[in-house]
Amino acid sequence: MLKHLRQSGTLIGLLGIVLFFALQLPDTFLTARNLLNVSQQISMLAVTAFTMTIVMVMGDFDLSVGSTASLAGIVAAVLFAAGWPVWAGVAAALAIGVVGGLLNGALVAYVGILPFIATLGTLTIFSGTAFLVSDGKTIFGRDIPPGFAGFARSGVTLTEGVTVPAMSIAAVLVLLVVYVTLEHTIYGRRLYAIGGNVHAAELAGLNVRRLRLSAFALTGLGAAMAGLMYASRVASANPTQGAGLMLDAIAAVFLGMTMGRQGEPHVMATLVGVLILGILDNGLTQMNVDSYVREILIGGIVVAAVAMSSYGRARG
Amino acid sequence: MDSLSLIGLSKAYGGVPALRDVTLHLAPGRVHALMGENGAGKSTLIKLIAGVVPADAMVVRRGATAVSLRNAADAAAAGFRFIHQELNIVPQLSVAENILLGHPSPRRFGVLVDWARMHDRARAALAFLGAAHIDVTRQAGDLGTGDRMLMRIASALVVEEGQAAPCLYVLDEPTAALTATESAKLFAVMSRLTAQGAAILYVSHRMEEVMAVCDDVTVLRDGAHAMAAPIAQTTQTAIIQTMTGRQQTAEPPTGPVVRGAVACDAIGVVSGRLRDISFTLQAGEVLGLAGLEEAGQGDLLRLLLGMGRVKSGQLRVLGGPAPTSPVQAWARGVAYVPRERRSEGLMLGMDVRCNTLLPHLGSFGILARKGPETVRTRDLADKVRLRYRAPDQTVRELSGGNQQKVIFARAIAGNPRLLLLEEPTRGVDVGARAEIHALIRGLSAQGCAVILASSDLPELLGLSHRVLIQQDGRQAALIDRAGLTADQLLARVYSPNPA
Ligand SMILES: Nc1ncnc2c1ncn2[C@@H]1O[C@H](COP(=O)(O)OP(=O)(O)OP(=O)(O)O)[C@@H](O)[C@H]1O
Ligand SMILES: [Mg+2]
Repeated sequence: MLKHLRQSGTLIGLLGIVLFFALQLPDTFLTARNLLNVSQQISMLAVTAFTMTIVMVMGDFDLSVGSTASLAGIVAAVLFAAGWPVWAGVAAALAIGVVGGLLNGALVAYVGILPFIATLGTLTIFSGTAFLVSDGKTIFGRDIPPGFAGFARSGVTLTEGVTVPAMSIAAVLVLLVVYVTLEHTIYGRRLYAIGGNVHAAELAGLNVRRLRLSAFALTGLGAAMAGLMYASRVASANPTQGAGLMLDAIAAVFLGMTMGRQGEPHVMATLVGVLILGILDNGLTQMNVDSYVREILIGGIVVAAVAMSSYGRARG
Repeated sequence: MDSLSLIGLSKAYGGVPALRDVTLHLAPGRVHALMGENGAGKSTLIKLIAGVVPADAMVVRRGATAVSLRNAADAAAAGFRFIHQELNIVPQLSVAENILLGHPSPRRFGVLVDWARMHDRARAALAFLGAAHIDVTRQAGDLGTGDRMLMRIASALVVEEGQAAPCLYVLDEPTAALTATESAKLFAVMSRLTAQGAAILYVSHRMEEVMAVCDDVTVLRDGAHAMAAPIAQTTQTAIIQTMTGRQQTAEPPTGPVVRGAVACDAIGVVSGRLRDISFTLQAGEVLGLAGLEEAGQGDLLRLLLGMGRVKSGQLRVLGGPAPTSPVQAWARGVAYVPRERRSEGLMLGMDVRCNTLLPHLGSFGILARKGPETVRTRDLADKVRLRYRAPDQTVRELSGGNQQKVIFARAIAGNPRLLLLEEPTRGVDVGARAEIHALIRGLSAQGCAVILASSDLPELLGLSHRVLIQQDGRQAALIDRAGLTADQLLARVYSPNPA
């Protein structure tokens, strides 16, 4: 009973937050328009956090996702400016994400550097590269093709005035893919086994290095996708625009981990974490809470949730 | 000293009873054996009186006074000392720090650690145990399995200055990780402790040991009290009968090797500490590895698993070159049971199904298929007599011996052609041990080659066709099992090549 309470505590927290804003902002919060708006606002964080879950399942981290996102946006924009068609620029940017992820994976799995240090290093490398490629400038205006920027403004219209944004749909698709991969494939099971005990996984014949390498590549791919979504939404690219994603993504996974049976991450739980962060941000903004105060509040909530969960676990 | 009574101990995990109204009387100066099959509730009983798991019901009395045991500090204050079955050490700390962990460390000026005194006290505890060879300044993680156990035992022996001597020592399978010589040292210490008036509660699955060193016995069955008697008034057969509800039958000898293909061929192999390794293993043959602790048995098995590199000499495994990684080894039909079930074998937080099928998941396709996997798991679990609730129960919730069975089930799940075993029945009860031995014999009869490293000499002799004796990494002798007694084997372990 106590255990169930601990596991579902985070979910109850989410419902509490929704209820709170619904009461505080009766006219604006629980409207289809606002909720769809929230879903678009959080879609980039969602994609990053969902794919971050893949490496965190193995007990690893990727601190470089933010700068990977920035780099991907910059690369696409620079290629657009050079006259590449939209599909080619997007493909190249995604490829950059995969390559960055492979670099992280190689450093962690083959060279044997702790993920924290390896990805801290590549964070700087990717971000430096983004500045180098873009000359430190924001790329915008005519350099960004309307076909690319249009994606963020498009959507599927359900009824008059209710349009599900394409970005939200993209995030849901990523969620489903990651969910099936982690929970319903042998591959996912193996990643969880590595998270459970790397040494034992290796002795039991799992190809730990290759699995880690590929998982980091997927996280890099997700980060690049998020970077492209961001660039599309603001119709511009600058070398720091993904910077905020990393901490929020890790916080979302941590919030989700409070719901795991053994404290392990699951992507559906990460979704709850993303919703908590996204809804808090949206609601507090609407209530005109100062953005610094907002950061303090959100940070406090993350720490409190994780602390409560580990305290509960220690007590059994 | 007064005698201790543990009365009406009960504990259920999530509604499933693990211990039901068990009562036990421990007399000072006597060794009391606590026996029962894997999962019978022995460790649970111990955790209750150690105050690490809350009891549903429990009364503890020393003489006429009640002792309250709500947490570990209570138990320590009551003069109880514990060596738990699965307590891990802190590998980064020194041996001395590990031994004095949980005791206030000696100080200088109230704040600085008095290292000299700390080392002296740790040395004294080890010396008392006859284990003075262990360097107290070494990192605990560098110790071999036996030395780690001795270190943990030493930790329970530390008596703080000005404190009354402990009145109860509880040892949960201390000898499962010890060689015969190390065990003998432990028994000597136990008799000194009982001579000082302490009571000892002792858990072991090694019957001979229990019959030799214990004074009384209590048998648990399915969490309930099944029998209590002085050892002198009962027999090994009666105890086993009470534990298992079955008569113990003698194990049949391993059948002769049907000459077949060569599973493994080593000529003058040098690798790491291994030297002069030369043997030819037939398909279906069981090769025992003997030697003092860490004489290279583990290194040899891991070399065959693809964890080492051959420096010189020739090694062929299953008709090909030696595998270069465990991935390759498993793919080619090698299976491995590691020595340390918790650190090297199990994903404790994952379920029985995943732990059992882990190396073989690929054979179910790309998508996880719960149905067939569950069927397969059930089948394997029955084979090794696993006591568990369901295939999706987490392994952490299984008793120690049952965790061991999961690792064995994993190794035989893929119908291996070369089975590498390190202490395969450590902590496994008599009945399940015989069952696992029968499985090994069955695999051997079907042509699976087996290499078995075990400190359990009867096991080694009962299963092997030949025994390879190692000394400090070197192959010292390769002898036929036929006609070898345990005493002779032990003698050969110490001096492999008698004049
Ligand atoms: N944390 C737990 N949660 C649920 N069930 C548990 C837990 N710990 C133990 N059990 C169950 O309690 C029962 C008794 O376990 P216990 O560890 O006391 O057995 P044991 O007699 O020490 O066995 P072994 O000889 O294998 O060490 C087992 O069925 C086990 O699965
Ligand atoms: Mg036990």
